[in-house]
Amino acid sequence: MRKAFGCIAGICLLFSVAGAYAAEEVAVGSITPLSGKLAVYGEGFQQSMLLALEEVNAAGGINGKPMKILYEDNNSTAKDSVSAIQKLITVHKLPVLFGPAASSNFLAVCPIAQENKTVLIGAESAAAEITKCGDYVFRVFPSDELQGKGAAELTVSLGYKEVVLTYINNDWGVGLGKVFKENFLKAGGKIIDEFSHDEGKTDYRSEVLRIKKHSLKAAVNLTYIKEGATMLKQAYETGLKVQWLMGSASKSPKLVELAGESAEGIIGTYPTFSQDTPQYKHFKETWEKKYPGKKIPIFGEYNYDMVHLTAKALKVAKSLSSDDIRNALIEVGKGYMGVTGDKTFDANGDVGAVYGKWTVKGGAIQDYKP
Amino acid sequence: MLDYYAQLVVNGIVAGAVYALFAVGLTLIYGVFRFINFAHGELIAWGAYLTLMFSGFLPFGLAVVPALFLTILLGIGQERYIYRSLRQRSRITLLIASIGLSYLLRNALRLIWGSDLVSFGFETRRGMSFAGLIVTRTQLLMVAAALLFLAFLYMLLNFTMLGKSLRAAADNTELAEIMGIDMKKVGLSVWILSALFAGVGGILIGIDTNLEPVMGLINLLKAFAAVLLGGAGNVWGALLGGLCIGIAENLGVAFFSPGYKDAVSFALIILLLLFRPTGLFGLIGGIR
Repeated sequence: MRKAFGCIAGICLLFSVAGAYAAEEVAVGSITPLSGKLAVYGEGFQQSMLLALEEVNAAGGINGKPMKILYEDNNSTAKDSVSAIQKLITVHKLPVLFGPAASSNFLAVCPIAQENKTVLIGAESAAAEITKCGDYVFRVFPSDELQGKGAAELTVSLGYKEVVLTYINNDWGVGLGKVFKENFLKAGGKIIDEFSHDEGKTDYRSEVLRIKKHSLKAAVNLTYIKEGATMLKQAYETGLKVQWLMGSASKSPKLVELAGESAEGIIGTYPTFSQDTPQYKHFKETWEKKYPGKKIPIFGEYNYDMVHLTAKALKVAKSLSSDDIRNALIEVGKGYMGVTGDKTFDANGDVGAVYGKWTVKGGAIQDYKP
Repeated sequence: MLDYYAQLVVNGIVAGAVYALFAVGLTLIYGVFRFINFAHGELIAWGAYLTLMFSGFLPFGLAVVPALFLTILLGIGQERYIYRSLRQRSRITLLIASIGLSYLLRNALRLIWGSDLVSFGFETRRGMSFAGLIVTRTQLLMVAAALLFLAFLYMLLNFTMLGKSLRAAADNTELAEIMGIDMKKVGLSVWILSALFAGVGGILIGIDTNLEPVMGLINLLKAFAAVLLGGAGNVWGALLGGLCIGIAENLGVAFFSPGYKDAVSFALIILLLLFRPTGLFGLIGGIR
């Protein structure tokens, strides 16, 4: 009996503590890959978010109350992303969440956020499919819808009218391939052959041969790093001479390291933003002050913008209910110039983007200049 | 156009030669011990990763030697410490133990070298051209190594006492034992051969492309298909099976999306199990 009383008292105490913390802080949740295969990126996302958080709190927090980010690890998988979002929604009852990296993970949680009327914001998920997630889902990272267009424009601007198109066989690749095709055909281009290739294989010679068969000048290859590297290498060995046109997901020094000589001269697109803005300079300065000697991580700028924008929305929201925050987010996004440019949300919660061109020259990735 | 098909066949032969190496090892174990070793794929991956480790401080040609030696030890260790003590149990126990072991070994690779891709770091070179067909030096090496090792196996099985005892044991283990054949010796040599072939194949694949912890698993599936095609336990059947799978999946690309290339092996497995469970080259059991 005494034990039972003790338990109840303990639970009451726990609730009162939880209640107290909710009153003093404004908490938002974040599903972040802190373990698993994306953990290498997850650390950088977290550091960028913390950098912005520190600035928000130094400037008075959310109307006097400090802002707090509650991190929940997703082990880099879709399954654990779902457990994480359920915990953040049902146990912590948070109205705003930052979604997980990798489109397949993000797509796994977005219906849950939408169903529970919880605002979900993504900083690094690109799949075009996310656009259809619903009106509680936003992202500060541009959709592939735009990258598909960008890649089509790049192909046309380089003067290639006939190409072979290949893309990686997953949510991201198939979606991006589709958008590219639509835009390229619209611009008068012709796709001579089109096929998907599987993720994670070591032998892409048959794919390469299929490209070679058509003896065209250019091949559009929307793929990841290791698949891209293997394919480039095997194409080089097979004596295939085409202009490779690639997307943003293969833009990595690792690609050059794995593919070596065969990566020379490829051209690709990637979402970019100006590094001459005062916003970027400020970000770079504070980053270097807080994390001296550490390089700015991939998508760090987007994570930083996401936190600042959310804080701004929390400040002006009528209440801390998810509906009010959602409306406030749309409002503050209008014309908001972050580190990564204009964050005005469209009707689907997507932002616009500027696309840059990259190439590999002398074993290094650099901006492409014709 | 003819060039295109010819090139596909050439690529198929190269891939098939390596599949054959894996399949022969797998089928040898099956022939003598009557169980499929799911951890066979890990011998492939460990062979490659150990070579990577030794090539850090030895010239590549030399690094292969201790790497293969350790791979063989790993194979013998599987038998000595796990399978042998389970041999009296049901076959399902052995099967499950081998699946568990494959997970353990694969994740050990992840733990030591990480899940990221690594490569031996050879420079990429243009392939050589013969009458319009392009072959790389690595591909030539793959075929040559496969031929060498399979010829060695042929000699061993047909012209040595050990080979004869091996075949006898595969034919009927109990009878062989009654006749005074040393089963320990037979078992040991089967594991040595199986691990050696897997390690060599793994290194060849590593030279050709990259190394990653799941490389063994991917190739194990191809080896399964080859073993079934040749009839489980049939060494030369497995060899032909490997070649057939390699050529079939490469030629298949001419007719449907390369994304479905791996489906060829699986479709073959299913068709064979449905219509000819003893394999194309008939005659169940026995190393022939």
